[in-house]
Order: sequence, then structure tokens, then C-alpha cells
Amino acid sequence: MTKFTAATLILLLLLSVPSLLKSSKVFPYDYQIEVLENGLKLISIPLNNPHIISYYTIVRSGSRNEVELGKSGFAHFFEHMMFKGTQKFPREAYEDILTKLGAGTNGYTTDDYTCYYVVFAGGENLEKVVELQADIFINLYYTEEMLKTEASVIEGEYYRSVSNPGRKIYEILRDTAFEKHSYKHTVIGYFEDIKDMPNQFEYSQLYRKRFYAPDNTIILVAGDYDHEKLMEYIKKYYSGWEKSGYKIVTPEEPLQTKAKRAHYVWPTKTLPRLTIGFHGPAYFEEKIDKAALNLLAEIAFSRSSPLYQKLVIEEQKCLTLYASFADRRDPYLLTFNSTVKKDEDLPYVEKAIFQELERLKKEPVSEEILADVKSNLKYSFANSMGTTDGVASALAFYINLTADPATVNKLFDLYEKLTPEDIQEMARKYFKKTNSTVVTLTGGKAK
Amino acid sequence: MRKMKYYLWGILFLGISFLLLSCAKVNPNKVSFELLPLEGNPLVSFRILLKVGSAHDLSGKEGLCQLTFSMLANGGSKSMTFKEISKNLYPLAARVGLRVDKEMSVFTGQIHTDNLEKYYAILKDMLLNPGFREDDFTRIKTNHLNFLQKTLVGSNDEQFGKEILNLMMYEGHPYGHHETGTVEALESITLDEVKAFYQEHFRQGNITIGLAGGYPSDLPAKVREDFSSLPEGLTTPLELPEQRLPQGLEIVMADKKTPATALSMGYPLPISRADDDFFALWIAGSHFGEHRQHLSHLFQKIREERGQNYGDYAYTEHFIQGRRKFPDTNYCRQQQYFSIWIRPLTNSNRHFVLRQALRELKKLVEDGISRERFELVRTYLLNYTKLYAQTLGERLGWQMDSGYYGYQDFLEEVQKRLLKIKQEDVNRAIKKYLNFSNLYIAIITEDAEALKEALVANTPSPITYANPNMPTEILEEDLVIQSFPLAVKPEKVKIAPNTEFFQKAGLPQTD
Repeated sequence: MTKFTAATLILLLLLSVPSLLKSSKVFPYDYQIEVLENGLKLISIPLNNPHIISYYTIVRSGSRNEVELGKSGFAHFFEHMMFKGTQKFPREAYEDILTKLGAGTNGYTTDDYTCYYVVFAGGENLEKVVELQADIFINLYYTEEMLKTEASVIEGEYYRSVSNPGRKIYEILRDTAFEKHSYKHTVIGYFEDIKDMPNQFEYSQLYRKRFYAPDNTIILVAGDYDHEKLMEYIKKYYSGWEKSGYKIVTPEEPLQTKAKRAHYVWPTKTLPRLTIGFHGPAYFEEKIDKAALNLLAEIAFSRSSPLYQKLVIEEQKCLTLYASFADRRDPYLLTFNSTVKKDEDLPYVEKAIFQELERLKKEPVSEEILADVKSNLKYSFANSMGTTDGVASALAFYINLTADPATVNKLFDLYEKLTPEDIQEMARKYFKKTNSTVVTLTGGKAK
Repeated sequence: MRKMKYYLWGILFLGISFLLLSCAKVNPNKVSFELLPLEGNPLVSFRILLKVGSAHDLSGKEGLCQLTFSMLANGGSKSMTFKEISKNLYPLAARVGLRVDKEMSVFTGQIHTDNLEKYYAILKDMLLNPGFREDDFTRIKTNHLNFLQKTLVGSNDEQFGKEILNLMMYEGHPYGHHETGTVEALESITLDEVKAFYQEHFRQGNITIGLAGGYPSDLPAKVREDFSSLPEGLTTPLELPEQRLPQGLEIVMADKKTPATALSMGYPLPISRADDDFFALWIAGSHFGEHRQHLSHLFQKIREERGQNYGDYAYTEHFIQGRRKFPDTNYCRQQQYFSIWIRPLTNSNRHFVLRQALRELKKLVEDGISRERFELVRTYLLNYTKLYAQTLGERLGWQMDSGYYGYQDFLEEVQKRLLKIKQEDVNRAIKKYLNFSNLYIAIITEDAEALKEALVANTPSPITYANPNMPTEILEEDLVIQSFPLAVKPEKVKIAPNTEFFQKAGLPQTD
């Protein structure tokens, strides 16, 4: 039986975007940008999808901002503290209001930014959400006791993935590859710093003053609402928020001149893992470097690439093989990762990855493969654009990088212009043995 | 006028198509459809659902269903190798996903309408003309074995704990093995057995095809014609045995070197989403442990007040998290269970937190839910469920599950049913379905023998805090919790090394 109910049709009036074959814009929606006097930026994307509204607050501070010794993991810790309420809306009252709205709320912390979102139904609830969010950012209140208790939760969060060797090898890679930059540690931070978090009440106030300020924050709203009304609420509730003026200076990472290597023995049985990192460029849509490398990652390591087919499908040496060239505000790592099936195959897989990179330096990729990769990236992005929250969550990442939604279409325009020679040039520039860090992990004998 | 004529012909054509499809659904031996057309939408979502899952694995061949369907989703077809399929799907940014549960399995895909024709041609070929090549078989089987032997028991204790609970609840039952199977059974499965499973179960009557989005109006008829090449008929519906309820506290511990302890506990329930009482019990479960929400009472007591771990939740049916924190779809089961999930916490506090969780459950059973909480949770669920189905795939999934449990549209039904529930109904459901003295408890921890001794002896289990100024009321409550008696009998506690799980059917032999 085929079912068409009124509610179904209302919920399913999803976003309509043009064919990508006919349009050059992968991000097709109109948006407005407004900046308050205190520096708070609002990016507003009214959409025709009924009911749902996504309200994101992007604080441009992440583990990148943890430049002081002993403060690793602090951006993430502070994200937890942001749910403690204010004197006007203590935690219980704050939670009760959002609970009654049935809102989906949470936060997450990354290397470069911390994001808080409220996804809810009904434009009539918009003012209350703006009021609550503004209040928590301007008037957050917590005691030292509350901070100490929350610090234990971070330790619990560390334990959540303590059984995962993938996390361990990633921690070792960053710690080994970076000498000075704060990307040396992961978002959750070093365990010894986590253990010291209960003693960081004063620093938490300083951290807040520096980074939780309108001139370091962007509000991104997408969905079914009236833009003028939204602006009215934003001005009403956020205008009293004071600027910080603080400018973070992240340490410059010295040029790596010698290949690095590390090995870790996981206490219990596990599949062996390999990760290889090269220092790469920061995200920048005006130069070809990062965009060309993003294409290279797909060309050489996607599921359809010759190397993946050889190592995973044909020879069956690897369970997984992928490249991850994450976009970051500062120069970051280009990584190649594999879970291998047998310890003795680790050298073989490592050699195959380096050989493939050498091949890419010598031979330009075919136009056909390049076209396939461009198509894949375009449609992958389009697939994430189907809902209000899909639009907001995809855009939040790019807004963190440049504070401007236009960067998405600029990036994809740049992809279109790249040639096989551009890819080859970037392979030669970045994939030098002296710029590499290899980390391996094998299982131990403990029960 | 001419435009209007075409329009009317279009409506007539659609009407006939839907009529034909509706008729098809009436015949249980043929493919049925679930359609959510959305003209102008740029995406199309596919969900090819089979009423066949791991519960259909034969004894000694546990894992056969997932291995067979993996050969379709992750292997080549007769006309294309998997390498060629990967190469063709790549520019479309498309994949064929697969999830196997106890009673159903679903192949999923989402595609931009620009690429619909190419994608459907590949999807059809993969499902209707599987290649069943020896090299694909070796690769996929090895991957499944590695998952059981290394990944599940070695790299993800949260999931490992939930799977041990499943083994405990369903020993000797068709649900009683992991969907991936057991090491012993997987090693024995041959390619011929995989082919035979496909022949036996990949039949028209087992299949519901879900389509949502901006697909052309003639697509459903085309799909129906293509799938009519499969044999008609259906697998005999599962007749499940009665669920075995725990007698007291039955504990299984996986002993491994780890700084953190993972805990899962629960027991089978006699009701599912299809029953009237489900809605009242759902409110109770949401109050007690809504998944990854501050609303959860357990979360408030264990994490927020005491900072013990990252989260603590409870569920009144089998729960898989989908996009964000919402429940995923197409995991329908005839038999359901109640469970509590305590995320990993430092080993030194394991005994205390186990006591605390069971004490909170006891309080829920004895005291019920207050009027204030009842009103809050009901309002929450009425609004939160509006966010469940945002994507095409989610909406389609919820629509398909609605039918399984006998509803026209479950999410619409929620809006009506919850409004009728009273506080008394919830408290009656709590008394009827929840208890705190008969539970299966799965624990992954280090030095399990020491924990067993402490549990059996009811040794007090005080904890310490980083905060020297913990509120007095919490410290006073801690004094009660640390000595809260648990009736653990030594013969009801089994301990096995983590690597012995999933080797053979059932729980590891500990004697």
C-alpha cells in the first residue's frame, strides 16, 4: 500500500536545488550576512523547508587555541561548561525549556572551532531560542565546584574511547609530527592535562574572556523563519555582549627536515595499523595548494583508486585504506591510514603508499580520473544539502575556516580549474620523505 | 489547455501505477512498495528491505545471512567485478549500504537525480545478478572474522558490552548470536552455502522496496518489473520461542586489560511498539534514560551530579543511534528488551556505579514518575519526535517500520497516543514491566575476579571526588549507595577472557 499523509508531505517538502549538471554552484542558497557593532556576525539562510530551524553558534576557538603548556583539551572542556546555565536560566531551567521544545541540542569541539547547535521545530519558538542562547553566551555562570565535577566527566569521555587503538595511533602521529604548533595534541588533550582540569577554574575564566566573545563568534541560522524577525531578536539579545579584542598567535611549526618514525605496542590483540603524515598547507581558497591536494587524496586513495583496489580488494592485505587531508586554519597534516590484516604486511603496505606517491610525482593523472574526482566531490557535497540541518552543519565547517559562506563555491570553482599538472606539482612539493612521519601500531600479548 | 491534458494523463498514469503497486502488496508472494514521491526534489533515496535477518541463520552457520548480503553490497555482480562497480559508482558519489539485524536487512542508497539512471542500473545488477566470486567471498569472510576476533572484542568496549548482553538475553534463541556470526561458524561457511541462502531468501515476497524523493513517475513500475525476475514466495515467518527471563542478577564479565569498565544490563520485555502499553513505558524509559539527552535521570545522577562518565541511558526497545542522536530505522523485532547502558568509567568506581544504577532503577519501580516529570517528558517526546525524520532515508525508514508494527504512520500515531497517556498509565507500566532484582548484567573490566568477590560479599564501595566541596546531599546519598546491597550469588557470575567471546555459539564456557 502506498501511503500519503498530510504530515508526511509537509515533512517531506525538502529542499529543492537545481541539477548540478546545469549549475556551477554547489551551494545554491541565498544568504544574508549582518554584523552587529560588537563584531558578532550573523549568517542567515531562510529556506523553504517547513517547520525546522537550525541555530548554530560557532566559536572560532578549538584545540588550535591551546597554545599554553598544560592547557591541552581546554577548548573541549569549556564546551562542557557552556551547558551549566546562567543566574537567569540555571542549568535545570535552561534544560527544561529546551526539553519542552523537543529541541535537539549539543556541542562539539574541533581543532579550530567549537560549535553549539539547537535544532527545533516551529518559528514561534525562535525568539526563545535566541534569548536562551544569547543569555548562556553572555551570562554563563558556574562555580569552582561545578567545574571540578565536570572535569571528571572529561576523564570519563577519555575512557569512552580508551579501547580504540585508532585513537592512540592518531594521538601519536600528531605528537610526533608536530614540534611546536598546538595541533600537536588532539582535541581531548593529553591525559595528564585532563587530570589537572579540576584545578583550572581561574584559567577557565580567562579562556572565556579571550574567546567567548562576539568578535570571535558567528551565528548561523538556517530554516523556516523570517529574516527581519531573526535580526530583531539577534539585536535585542546579543547587543550587550562585550568584545574581547584578543588575538591568538599560534606557534609557527618549523620546517621538518628529517623523516620521523614511531611505533606503539597496544597491550592486547588488535589488527596492526599504519598512518603516514606529511605537513601540508592550511585551507586557502585563493591558492591551488590545498584544493589540488584534496583532489590528489581522492585520486590516489579513494575506493575506486588503483592502490585501494590492489591492497584492499585484490591482494586483501588491508582492511581499510584511506587518505585524510583535513582542512584547517593553520598548516596541518596530510595523512594516509590503513588497518592491515597481518603484522608482517605493515612494511609492504607502507612501501606501496610511498611508491604510489612517487608515481604521482612522475606521472600526471588522466583527465578522465580527474573528472571523476571532481564529480564525486560535487555530488558528495550536494548529497549533504537535502535538509535544513544538512545545510547548516555542512556550512558550519566552512564558516569556521573563513567566516564567509562564499568560500564553498570558490573552493568548488577552484577544483574545476585544476589540471593534472597542478596535481603533479603539489605531489612534488609536499610528498618528500623528509617531510614524513610514519607511525605503526601492533597488538600485544596481554589477555 | 494542452498542458492540462498532459497533466490529467499524468495523474491517470500515476493512479494506475499506484493501483498496480497496491495490488502487488496484497499478494504476499510478490515484491511490495513504500513510495514517497517528491517532485522537484534533487535526491532519491532507496531502501530495499528484506524480512530476513540473522535470526534466519541455521544453527552452526551463524553469520550466513550477513555474509550473503555482504556479497551483494560489497562484491561484484555477474557482469561487473567489485572493482568495476566501485569505479562506476565513484563519480556519482554513491554507494550501496547494508545493515543486517535479527529479523530484517536493508540495502540503502541515496543518489542525485542527475545520476539516478546510472545508479539504479548498478544497484539492480548488484542485487539481482550477484557474481558470488571466490575472491570476493574470501575477502568479505576474512573481514567478518577480523571484526569478531579483533575489532569487537579488542577495540570497542561500549559495543562489546551490548553484544554480551544480547548473548545473555537470548541464549539458545534465534536472536542469540551476533549478526556477523561466530568464528567457528563463519570458518565453516562455504560459497555454495552463501549461494543457497540467496536462492532461498532473496525472494519477492520477502522484499519491500522503498523509494523517496524526486524520482520519475515510471520508476516504481520499472523496479517492480525488474524485481519480478526473482522467484516468488517468501520465507516462513519466524516463530520465536519464549524469551528466558533472568533469575536474580545474572552476571557475565569479559576480563581484559583496560583502565575503564563498560556496563550494559537489561532483560527481555513482553511488549513492543505494536502494543498499547509501549507508549506509557516509552515515557518511563525516556524519563529514566533518554539517549544522549540531559533529560535522562541516570545521566543527571551519574554524570551531572558525580562526573563518573560520559553518559548513562536506558531504552525500552532495541536502540541503534542514527544520524545525530536520533533512533535509526529498520531494526524492527517481534521481541524487545529493556536495557541500561553505562558508558565506560574508571575501574575504581565500577562497583559503586553498578550499585547506583540498580538503586535508581529500584527507586523508579517503587516510586514511579512524578507528575511534573511526566508532563515534561511527554511534552519533550511530542516535540522531539518531530525531528526524527528529517532526511529522505529517515522518513522512508520510519514509514516502512510503521507497517511492521501495524501503524499507518507511527510518528503521527505518537502525536495522538502520547496525548492520551496519563501519569497513572506510566506508573502502572513501570510496575508491570520494570524490575530491579532480575537482570542480566554484562561487564567488561580488568581483574574481574576481584569485582566478583566484592559483588558477592557486598563489600562497601566508597568513591572519591576531585571536588573537595561536593554538596552534602550527594555525599550523604553516596553513603547509602556505597553499601546498597546487591543479591549476587557466586554461581550466577561467569568470567571469561574477552578473546573467548564470539568464538562459538552462545556464551563462552567458563567451567
